[in-house]
Amino acid sequence: MFLEFVEGPLWYFSAVVFVVGVLWRLVDIWRQPSRTDLAVPRGSGVPGALRTIVTRSWTAKGFSRGATFHLVAGYMFHIGLFVLLIFAAPHVKFIEERILGFGWTPAPHWLFMVASDLAFAGILLLWLRRLMHPVMRKISTFDDHAAAILTFVVMLTGCLALLKSHDSLRAIHMLTVCLLMVYFPFSRLMHAFTFPVSRAYTGAAMGRKGVSA
Amino acid sequence: MARMKFLCDTERCIECNGCVTACKNEHEVPWGINRRRVVTINDGEKGERSLSVACMHCSDAPCMAVCPVDCFFQTADGVVLHDKDICIGCGYCFYACPFGAPQFPTGGVFGSRGKMDKCTFCAGGPGEANSAEQVRKYGRNRLAEGKLPICAEMCATKALLAGDGDVVADIFRQRMAYRGAAGLGTGWGVAYDKGLRKASGLDGKAAGKED
Amino acid sequence: MTDHPSRPAIPSEPRQHGVPPRVRARITRYLLALLAFVLIAPLVPYAAAYLGAGNVPNPGAGLWNEVRQRAGPADANTQARGVESAVLINQVGERWRQFRSEMLVPVGAWLLLGTLGFLALFWILRGRIPLEGGRSGQLVPRFSVNQRVVHWFAAILFVFLAVTGLVLLYGRFVLIPILGPEGFSATAAACKEGHNLFGPIFPFAVLAMIVLFLRGNGFNQIDLKWFFRAGGLLKGHPASSGYYNGGQKSWFWMVVLFGIAISISGLILDFGVFGQGREVMALAHVVHGGVAVVFIAASLGHIYIGTVGMEGAFESMSHGYVDANWAREHHDLWLAEMEAAGMVGVEPNALEEVKRHDNIDFKGFGSPGTKAVQG
Ligand code: HEM
Ligand code: HEM
Ligand code: HEM
Ligand code: SF4
Ligand code: SF4
Repeated sequence: MFLEFVEGPLWYFSAVVFVVGVLWRLVDIWRQPSRTDLAVPRGSGVPGALRTIVTRSWTAKGFSRGATFHLVAGYMFHIGLFVLLIFAAPHVKFIEERILGFGWTPAPHWLFMVASDLAFAGILLLWLRRLMHPVMRKISTFDDHAAAILTFVVMLTGCLALLKSHDSLRAIHMLTVCLLMVYFPFSRLMHAFTFPVSRAYTGAAMGRKGVSA
Repeated sequence: MARMKFLCDTERCIECNGCVTACKNEHEVPWGINRRRVVTINDGEKGERSLSVACMHCSDAPCMAVCPVDCFFQTADGVVLHDKDICIGCGYCFYACPFGAPQFPTGGVFGSRGKMDKCTFCAGGPGEANSAEQVRKYGRNRLAEGKLPICAEMCATKALLAGDGDVVADIFRQRMAYRGAAGLGTGWGVAYDKGLRKASGLDGKAAGKED
Repeated sequence: MTDHPSRPAIPSEPRQHGVPPRVRARITRYLLALLAFVLIAPLVPYAAAYLGAGNVPNPGAGLWNEVRQRAGPADANTQARGVESAVLINQVGERWRQFRSEMLVPVGAWLLLGTLGFLALFWILRGRIPLEGGRSGQLVPRFSVNQRVVHWFAAILFVFLAVTGLVLLYGRFVLIPILGPEGFSATAAACKEGHNLFGPIFPFAVLAMIVLFLRGNGFNQIDLKWFFRAGGLLKGHPASSGYYNGGQKSWFWMVVLFGIAISISGLILDFGVFGQGREVMALAHVVHGGVAVVFIAASLGHIYIGTVGMEGAFESMSHGYVDANWAREHHDLWLAEMEAAGMVGVEPNALEEVKRHDNIDFKGFGSPGTKAVQG
């Protein structure tokens, strides 16, 4: 019935869209012509690129005051989400049975819960700030809100299915997961894959200029 | 119509835990779940007594009244059963039950108890009797096979009685009469020591014989 | 028995007619004595048992008193490992169940429906409280970004917890007839997991709320007057107020007290892993459920006045600015302070706002007694 459809055909369809879409976007970025830098490079771009990928993981000195909220809530959300995604017992089981063929030790229940509480608190705070902060509100597009809400709904339906006993609740979670995967490659959610690319690009440019930024 | 009841005769129970073991074995009860347990009062002291206790299949069951999803039902025999497909593992039945019968599979971190499990009077649960699904969820359905609960069947001293409440009560009444006037006729000495029974003039008072 | 040791039997005299009266009286006496004996004799063992009962203790009585724990916890032992598995009789179950099904469910229902009814009545009679003077077009800053984020954070969690909690409390009566047992089971399972998962976040929202909203929420003389004038709801009795009025302050302190009570009791219910027994759980549940229905009822009033009930109120929590006329009509003393500080009629210029909120000191912003003004 519905669960079989969602877990079967719909899941394969979304997975294909997700994989093909992400690859297509990455290849597309790769093939963008970059402006030729006529200046004589003062240094190599590679160390700059690598450094920037790491250093952009926290706020630069001058901006720290205004960005504390984002730093804290952002890490709460992302760490929580990744622990959930990769170490939640039902997810490990799903990955083992349906994707990779092997699994790993799932997080104990309490860690799963702490992680999801962090993730929920984080995404709510981030999205509310997006709505309430005058500048954040002005620079936010439909895409930002859609991505935040969709991710939240996926998390919420997953959390509602925690008793693992009702096919209907499972199917709803799976359905929202499918929606998210189809939406993913064509939205801001691509930042999960593109953030190293953009940081490396900036870092390399700075490296060639001999600037550490 | 039979009204199923358990009764544990404290003068006979020797805390062998045979009933507990029989239950776990018969129903493949998971670790950590005790559908039946034996509690000993004043362990190792004078007046020590043991009682085997499980769900008592209350006539007006508190668990049934309190369950937020209303998943309990009572069979025509008065056995209180519940539907694990409906149960949400909230634990309210455990708070309400006088006897601590409802059990939960996990320790309940973050209140995430699994589905409740309890003694079924060996009567399974909803669904087809002794179907693979019923056996997996609730254990064997002996009542459907015309048998009585395994715990009482296994009891070596016949301390634990199970069956139609009238019959159980009759047996117990006979025992009490045999041991002497109610209230005076209890005690291991009276129950098992023939000499003491004779000396107290109580021997042979009861006409009936024990089962 | 009829033999008389003192007087050997005398052969009856054939000449005499009938039994002599003396003999007859004696026979009657014997018969009466016999009757008395027959009647009393069987009672002797009972009497003996009764008198002897003091010496032969009833072993059953002591045992069942211990099982029932009439004199404190019994000295009990069991091989079963679990919370309170050595307890034979649950001491609180029945009282807890009676509280839940005879107090919490019906009284809570009346409280919630009564509050809704009252608000509906108020809406019909008074309608939306309008801005008497219309909009002035002049804005006064009221709540900072952080205050608004935290407010909606708490509000979203609260509404979610309240809805899921009420489904657990009333679903059996309201939702099973609609959704059927299976449908409601799925709903209740989702609500239980959702409630248990979101619950532990709520205490942090309450704490943040206390930190950000404490300032200006202390009661003072003005509030007393405000209460006497019923918040100015009666026509022609305007009640003046500062940054917060008496009603808002009451709500804030309710949030603090109820929030703490509901969080502590909720955490006890949620983390059943510390071996707390049924007594503690039942007590926590009584506090949690009792506080929850009162909290929800009170929040209905707050939500009503914050949305449909009063023109111009919602924007203070959405944009952070209110119309000067709204401030004049509902918080006159605060408006006077803001006027004195030159904070009336500011442009909601994003750049200026960010300066105020983020980098530059916004301590004086949106709070009573505003002095520091930037931009
Ligand atoms: C707070 C966040 C989340 C929680 C609590 C959660 C929880 C769960 C649970 C309990 C299941 C098992 C359902 C069942 O077998 O009945 C599940 C399955 C799954 N979840 Fe999540 N999930 C969360 C977020 C996510 C996210 C963000 C994704 C993907 C982007 C995701 C993807 C999946 C997938 C693919 C399955 C397998 C579905 C199935 O076996 O039917 N989950 N999740
Ligand atoms: C303001 C917020 C809250 C409201 C309005 C609320 C309301 C409720 C209600 C109405 C119930 C159902 C009682 C019943 O069925 O008899 C309930 C149960 C419960 N609540 Fe809350 N609650 C709130 C916050 C919390 C918090 C902060 C926690 C935990 C930290 C929590 C944890 C629980 C737990 C564990 C139960 C028992 C339900 C179960 O075991 O499935 N709640 N709550
Ligand atoms: C969900 C609907 C809600 C709406 C529409 C709403 C609306 C508002 C509005 C408009 C204000 C500003 C009043 C003013 O200008 O002075 C306010 C203040 C406030 N709200 Fe809410 N609110 C909601 C829920 C909640 C909840 C659930 C809580 C607490 C758990 C809460 C706690 C507060 C507090 C503490 C204040 C500060 C003012 C005071 O102390 O009364 N609100 N709300
Ligand atoms: S579980 Fe407890 S309350 Fe329910 S019938 Fe059995 S003994 Fe009675
Ligand atoms: S644990 Fe299950 S059976 Fe017990 S009250 Fe909750 S839903 Fe009903």
